Amino acid sequence: MTRNPMIERLERVGFWLLVAAIFIFTMFPFYWALVGSLKPETEIQSPPATYLPQNLTFDNYSGQVTDTLGDIRPSGVFTQPEFLRGLFNSAVVSGLTVILALVMGSFAAYALGRLHFRGRRIMLYLVLAMTMFPLISILSGLFAITRELGVFGSITSLIITYPIFTLPFTVWVLVSFFRGLPHELEQAALVDGATAFETFYMILLPLTAPALVTTGLLAFISAWNEYLLAATFASINANARTVPVVIANFSGSVPRQEPVAEILAATVVVTIPLIILVLVFQRRIVEGLTAGAVKG
Amino acid sequence: MSAPSHDSSQRGHTIPQLIVGLFACLGMGTLLALIINVGGAPNIIRARETGDIGRLILEFLYTFGIVTPLLMLAAGFASLNIARKLRARDLLTAKWSTQILFWLMIFSIFGIAVLIMNWVLASDPDSTLDVSFYPYLFVLALLLSIAFGLSWRWLRQNQDEYYVGQETLLSRQSLLAWNLLLPTVIILILIAARPLERTFIASLTNQVFAAAEEDVTEFVGFQNYARLLGFRLDVIDCERSDDGTCALDDDGAIEFLRPRDVLGEDYRALRFRTARRYELGESQLVLSVRDRDFFNAIENTLFFTVVTVAAELALGMIIALTVNSKFVGRGVMRAAMLVPWAVPTVISARLWEVMLIDNQAGVINDVLFRLGLGDGAIAWLAGSSTQIWSLIFVDVWKTTPFMALLLLAGLQTIPRDIYEAADVDGAGRVRQFFSITLPLLRPTIAIALVFRTLDAIRAFDVFDVLVGRQLQSIATYNQFVLVNEQEFGYASAVGVTIFVIIMIFTIIYVNALGVEAD
Repeated sequence: MTRNPMIERLERVGFWLLVAAIFIFTMFPFYWALVGSLKPETEIQSPPATYLPQNLTFDNYSGQVTDTLGDIRPSGVFTQPEFLRGLFNSAVVSGLTVILALVMGSFAAYALGRLHFRGRRIMLYLVLAMTMFPLISILSGLFAITRELGVFGSITSLIITYPIFTLPFTVWVLVSFFRGLPHELEQAALVDGATAFETFYMILLPLTAPALVTTGLLAFISAWNEYLLAATFASINANARTVPVVIANFSGSVPRQEPVAEILAATVVVTIPLIILVLVFQRRIVEGLTAGAVKG
Repeated sequence: MSAPSHDSSQRGHTIPQLIVGLFACLGMGTLLALIINVGGAPNIIRARETGDIGRLILEFLYTFGIVTPLLMLAAGFASLNIARKLRARDLLTAKWSTQILFWLMIFSIFGIAVLIMNWVLASDPDSTLDVSFYPYLFVLALLLSIAFGLSWRWLRQNQDEYYVGQETLLSRQSLLAWNLLLPTVIILILIAARPLERTFIASLTNQVFAAAEEDVTEFVGFQNYARLLGFRLDVIDCERSDDGTCALDDDGAIEFLRPRDVLGEDYRALRFRTARRYELGESQLVLSVRDRDFFNAIENTLFFTVVTVAAELALGMIIALTVNSKFVGRGVMRAAMLVPWAVPTVISARLWEVMLIDNQAGVINDVLFRLGLGDGAIAWLAGSSTQIWSLIFVDVWKTTPFMALLLLAGLQTIPRDIYEAADVDGAGRVRQFFSITLPLLRPTIAIALVFRTLDAIRAFDVFDVLVGRQLQSIATYNQFVLVNEQEFGYASAVGVTIFVIIMIFTIIYVNALGVEAD
């Protein structure tokens, strides 16, 4: 079959236009955030929009303003204690959530994927059922539990409740990974006199490192992005707010005026670590997502 | 004078019997604690006096739930059973009880730590903690942890000599398995099973947080659901003028009677409000609901769900097909696709808020204006007609890449030679897409649809950040009732209703698309 070279060239151009459109569609908002964060507030607020900063400034990151009373107030995100506090809280919550998810998840996944015992099937289904019911429908029950445990309004309430969405997929991804490992490994270890637990943490666990990285990353991203529980359990206490809650409630240094430039700067600060994570671990994340989706 | 050998065998008999006693006491103690707690609870006593069995059961469920009493019952009997088997010197039981004692020791030490922490917190004058009984608890926990620790040590050292029986590979594996599963089981009970049952039970009560002292929580049966879902349809006549024809207003439209004036006491007492009107000639069909906010929330959520999921599927398919073909920079594209997914919804919502500013400072208005569309001052997030579309657009932007990734993973499982064969047969691209790609992609599409639909139904972040209370989804409505109005019972009913809606969607999908549950 011969083709008209003219049509072929048109097809190529069309294809690249499509690629460019997709790229702009996904990435333009980040460009806008970056450019906006380097403009002074007045430039952002005054029409028409400028596509490159006309008055380049870094004040939105680390500036100070003198307000009407003559007090010097922080105006950049890095000089605002709430924002820094939020970053710190988010880092602590996400970090601990990842550790909890990986420790509990790998234990459970080894038991469910490699050991034979009565009740295995039921446990697998119970863990799966945890993913089935939506968080929002047990929100009021969780709310009551956090109050009973006396952790309401602290980051502990988030660390305790986040396993509800990180644990199930961690267990499912790791179970399928454990099942894929050859059985000879355990037999050889058993012959060498290792106990089952030693076999687990000295032989099988190191082999699952790639899956652990993937699930750890996904758990980190989902904990870092979580908003519903953070807004419900921890927003009452200003010291316990995570970054999403801080940004959602950003009021800025000037009363009654939305601090658009600072919001953009905060967006850039929170987004850049995630972009780097995604770029570095792109392949792993895709594997984890599709595995979780196909099996979960 | 007794011989040393006799002495050691004597000791060997006392300690195991003490351990048997410990387990027996634990079992009895757990069961007794359960009975005393249940029998002594004031609301249970009150309910028993009324002689109403239904109320008794409900009060019991409300106070204790199902999970905790069942667990206590099981633990009590299990521990009595262990005591019996340990008396019979069963080796397997000894192995299990060694593990159990180890965990009990850990838990009681943890309990002591919590007690001390609360004690310190209670020294704060603002604290409302009641610590008067803490010394007793402390002594009890201390004694228990010592008893557990000593028994555990003895059992670990002497189990093989003292107890008889055969340990199989299976029994060793199941012991290890349950040890490893313990943290997961605790989490399952604490943050999944307990909240779930609390939500279900609370949805049958009128419980309110931060209530005044004299407010007593009572069972209201299905009243919460009746209030939430209550609706009625009525036909209402037009307003008659003196000659019997319909009265017209200044614009010439027919004037109708107000529903609250004609539908009687019931209508007002149950706080029905009009949600929809349909004109039927000289009369009007009126849909009234008891909770109009919830009705609107359901409407918004369903509209949002249907439009976003359809748009995401279509756009996601285009992107997946594009990225599936080979070209320079494909890796960069795939990474770029992940970025919107990885960024917190809250942050992307605020970012879009800036891009959607209602004058030409907002980039969307600016671009449209330069292209000759719009007046450059469209109030995307304030106008009631544009609001929901803005939300839809932001959500589509954020989640289409995820959809595309799932579809891409599905596309890559389709063997290349099928397409080559189709090329030989002279089938065009479009034909290939509809007769090869689409059917083979069906399972992936089904899974992606289920995932995205369930996510869209419970959408919270986008609604909360971009429009707040102006336009609610069922999730933001639920959270508002819970946190701002503190109506625990009613909010729980909303939660259960959302659960049912999601279940219905899942069942429809599973049946329509034939997803095989593995």
